[in-house]
Amino acid sequence: MPRYPDKIDLYDDRGNLVDTNVPLEAISPLLNPAIKQMVQLIKRCVVVDLEGLEKALATGAVGGARCIVAGRSLKLDLVANAEAIADKLAECIRVKPDDDTEVKVIRGGKTLLVYVPSTRFEAGVEYTTGCTTVAAGLCYTIIEMFNVDLFDADLIHTAVWGRHPQTVDMLGGFVKMLLAMPQANEGPGYALRNVPVAHLAIITRKNAMNAAALASILEHTAAFEMGDAIGPFERLHLLGLAYQGLNANNMVYDLVKENGNGTLGDVVRSTVRRAVEDGVIRPLKKLSSGYTVYTTDDLPLWNAYAAAGLMAGTMVVCGAARAMQHIPSVMIYFNDLIERETGLPGVDFGRVAGTGVEMSFFSHSIYGGGNPVVFHGNHIVTRHSKGFVIPCAAAAVALDAGTVGFTPERVSGVVGEALGEVPLLREPLKHVAQAASQIKGEI
Amino acid sequence: MSEWKPQFYPGQSSIAANRRKYIDPSFRPRKIRSVSDEDIVKLLGHRAPGEAYRSVHPPLEEMGEPDCPIRKLVTPTPGAKAGDRIRYIQFTDSVYFSPLVPYMRAWVGHSRYRGVDIGVLSGRSPLEARERDVEIIAKEFIETEWFDAARTAVRGATVHGHSLRLDENGLMFDALRRYVYDKETGEVVYVKDQVGVPLDKPISVGKPLPEEELKKVTTTFRVDGVPFREDKELIEFVQRVHELRTRAGFNPEKVKGI
Repeated sequence: MPRYPDKIDLYDDRGNLVDTNVPLEAISPLLNPAIKQMVQLIKRCVVVDLEGLEKALATGAVGGARCIVAGRSLKLDLVANAEAIADKLAECIRVKPDDDTEVKVIRGGKTLLVYVPSTRFEAGVEYTTGCTTVAAGLCYTIIEMFNVDLFDADLIHTAVWGRHPQTVDMLGGFVKMLLAMPQANEGPGYALRNVPVAHLAIITRKNAMNAAALASILEHTAAFEMGDAIGPFERLHLLGLAYQGLNANNMVYDLVKENGNGTLGDVVRSTVRRAVEDGVIRPLKKLSSGYTVYTTDDLPLWNAYAAAGLMAGTMVVCGAARAMQHIPSVMIYFNDLIERETGLPGVDFGRVAGTGVEMSFFSHSIYGGGNPVVFHGNHIVTRHSKGFVIPCAAAAVALDAGTVGFTPERVSGVVGEALGEVPLLREPLKHVAQAASQIKGEI
Repeated sequence: MSEWKPQFYPGQSSIAANRRKYIDPSFRPRKIRSVSDEDIVKLLGHRAPGEAYRSVHPPLEEMGEPDCPIRKLVTPTPGAKAGDRIRYIQFTDSVYFSPLVPYMRAWVGHSRYRGVDIGVLSGRSPLEARERDVEIIAKEFIETEWFDAARTAVRGATVHGHSLRLDENGLMFDALRRYVYDKETGEVVYVKDQVGVPLDKPISVGKPLPEEELKKVTTTFRVDGVPFREDKELIEFVQRVHELRTRAGFNPEKVKGI
């Protein structure tokens, strides 16, 4: 028996129906096989920048920006030997002959995408296992393959691991994972929130619907880890994930289609109209000016409708300008306008509007900061609405045509490009919907 | 429910009624002055009149776009299509019965214009958009009743002083003295652009509205005008939203029919 009565229709990023009447819990990060697999893949997938490593070794520029070890260099043909390195590295990190280890050579040998075997994670408690395994394995592989002696091995180590252990992270290293080191997380359960949206936009090849879906999955999965999505708040998060992130009932797509030539205000009004038509909100009383106050018997569902509207508003505004910087303004004023249109609280009950105010200062060079590509849910000014803000930022970044100096490509680097090779991460909307459809009978 | 109609803003006062009217995108503000396209460009100061728009990326058609369904649904603005830089116009609104209070600029702007990035700060309200889009929006704001020559100002930098006492001609204090009152014509004349660079030829924005006229069009609550506390409906509305936000934060499943 499902815990919640809600049923949703699932659509893909182009508004095509995937399945109807799916129980809400089928998209839960606790149950949906695709989401669970995505989380595992995020831990398991490690990216090796062989091209960068080769250049760093040749010049002695190791350990991060402005660090050059004068007189030290190693000219090793890593890119030319990528296939051999991949085979040897796979052999090194494999636990059992038939396990799920895989090392893919991509970008003509410039990058390796490593799938660290699951067994290694089962034997530990940290998600850093993938990164440490690959870094150590790669050092060993290069030393062996290129006959690096005792006195040059330290340069290999510094190039691969970066400035670690002087820094807690692998600063300037050439082995990278999507997540940050645990010490960089704002608090318990924040790991999946510590991913700049630049990565998400690049992984999804700048498909705004998929970028939003991937961000939403990470944020709401983190909500379970943070202890937010539990008790009366679990359904709130599941509905938010479904409607805002996964295009449930095709709502986001429909709202964008209806307002493709419209304004943010038009999206607000379309959202409210749909909520009234679907019986999610109803008139409560008429005030002396003639203004009708609306009420609801299902606030989490109203919140999901408003969140879907916010996403559509983001896509309409940032899509019209083909620019990302509008996102904080959308967050504040979508909520202002929808609250004034209905008399009901905006998305996440004021937290999105508040986060928008902070983000606007952060993103418009008022108190320093950076452009929206570096936004993630793990920052003091962006973390307050858990689940409902970052998906919109990801969509905005995906829709930008090139208005910023620090582009998502530049910030994400090889990580986004390499992880975009993983179909589940590149097209999350389709895979999560299909997986939900498969398990709906078991809920 | 086919009878649903947008209502924009609550409140029983004349101020609330003005806010409601202005947010409604079908409302057309009265045009009260003409400023040429060339003068708008000069006032903004982003390019010289007649100069080609500089671009931040190639036109969308030339560069091609990623395979994204949302890009197919949302038409880019003319400026976005051409790859224009993002530029701004920034307004300072007097606390003395200005037609638009800063927040109204955001609500009105997002209700009427596509692809705009509007901010509201203590003394200024920037509106950013692609350059050619900004010029069109700026013209509409400056030529209509939403711009009063004395109580509204175009200020790209050094904005503060708007809440000081008005000068003898009813003008807001401006540390950069971008505009002056012409006693002979009774008009306000911009002698500098929005960031304070002197203009080669002054730009007139016409005569300030009389105080009584301003009080009719303003969206400012003031104790010496229409006090906020007199609009009981609006106060109750604000309190309601605050209460519902708080209750929902405690337990959203228990907020029913309130």
